[in-house]
Amino acid sequence: MNCSRDLIEAYLDEELDAGLGASVEEHLSVCSSCSELYARFLEQRTDIKSAAPYYKAPADLEQSIRDSLRKAGSSEFKPAAARMPWRWLAIAAIVLLAISVSWNIATMTRRPAENDLIARNVFADHIRSLIGTHLVDVPSTDQHTVKPWFNGKLDFSPDVKDFAAQGFPLIGGRVDYLMDRTVAALVYGRRQHVINVFTWPAGPEKIPEDHFSRNGYNAVHWSRGPMTFWAVSDLGTMELDQFKDLYVVSR
Amino acid sequence: MNAASSRMIELEKTHLVKPPSIGSVPGLQLFEELILPHLNAAYNLARWLTRNDDDARDIVQEAYLRAFRFFANYRGGDGKSWLLEIVRNTCYSFQQREKRSVKNVVFDEAVHAPSASPLDAEEALVTAGKHAIMRKCIEDLPETFREILIMRELEEMSYRQIADVAGLATGTVMSRLSRARKRLEECAKARSMESGK
Repeated sequence: MNCSRDLIEAYLDEELDAGLGASVEEHLSVCSSCSELYARFLEQRTDIKSAAPYYKAPADLEQSIRDSLRKAGSSEFKPAAARMPWRWLAIAAIVLLAISVSWNIATMTRRPAENDLIARNVFADHIRSLIGTHLVDVPSTDQHTVKPWFNGKLDFSPDVKDFAAQGFPLIGGRVDYLMDRTVAALVYGRRQHVINVFTWPAGPEKIPEDHFSRNGYNAVHWSRGPMTFWAVSDLGTMELDQFKDLYVVSR
Repeated sequence: MNAASSRMIELEKTHLVKPPSIGSVPGLQLFEELILPHLNAAYNLARWLTRNDDDARDIVQEAYLRAFRFFANYRGGDGKSWLLEIVRNTCYSFQQREKRSVKNVVFDEAVHAPSASPLDAEEALVTAGKHAIMRKCIEDLPETFREILIMRELEEMSYRQIADVAGLATGTVMSRLSRARKRLEECAKARSMESGK
């Protein structure tokens, strides 16, 4: 394992899964510069806790909130209910509920359902790429080789970045087929793990950023401009997020 | 089953999982049971964001009223994160309002940071203890870092919970937290050298 400030901090914050946590612990026992860094983090944490007061709410605040809640509860809602005939109120409630239900279905359910469908396809494509012998069509660690290779094979030009310096080297790219269209698949490595990044223009409608996991695989989705991105791997969510952040901030 | 009857079933289901209606006593009781226990967390966050007791008090009071109004949208789950998200938003809209209402006074870090006033700086030199320095350094952190640090170190919330409150990706929480710690370390070092002179 290499020295990583990020991993040490995540270990400090107890955000690592047991396996990764154990390997950080092991690394700390043999690497003096990392164990010094870790000790400094621990000392800072102690300093913060003893220096920064936890401000408790003033004693009378709770009662004052209870009072204003009661007032709000009675003044805002009860007179209105009292004025209106029950039959109309019941009809209004049903109409409102119907609107809210269809609104929920329209805004909440539809997008996640679509995202779930894409996620299922993304996981399947990722696993397929690992089972076969077809991980990359253009094996290259050079983004300036991979990007032009897609010319003429796709109706868009994908963003190809190399993050070898940050520990996510580019391995290559291939053309894949996903959600009824050809997409670019960029392949990155992380230690022994493989990350597939699927990207294609999804149009102006943005699907919100989201995380998915299935059978030990994780996927994260984000978009930039008209382009949509799905990164999938057997890496933990945290490392996958780290990769996503690199991608998002790079220009 | 036709569309209308399936919709009726949907309606009933929705009705069942929703907390009792706002304004009725059971709704208020449930709200008080689930959300009021997080009062200290709400106050602590507001106090660290505003650095002021009176503002923190007003904000928490307002945030609770807002929370009660939104309570129908509460889908169970982590009540603390849910409340803190509202407290945080209330803080920021409160500051926007302050900015507009106080003419010619620009609310920014430089004006409101305690270090900006020479009196305070002097006071810091006098108190000079390690704790006073650390506390000042936390107070002087930009809000985007301060809120995350407070949620992590004082509230001991997970990256995921903090991300929910602040509307960020967990990776962003992680990198901001890391930068906050780096800044704190540098600030504490610089200030203790200053006071050692």
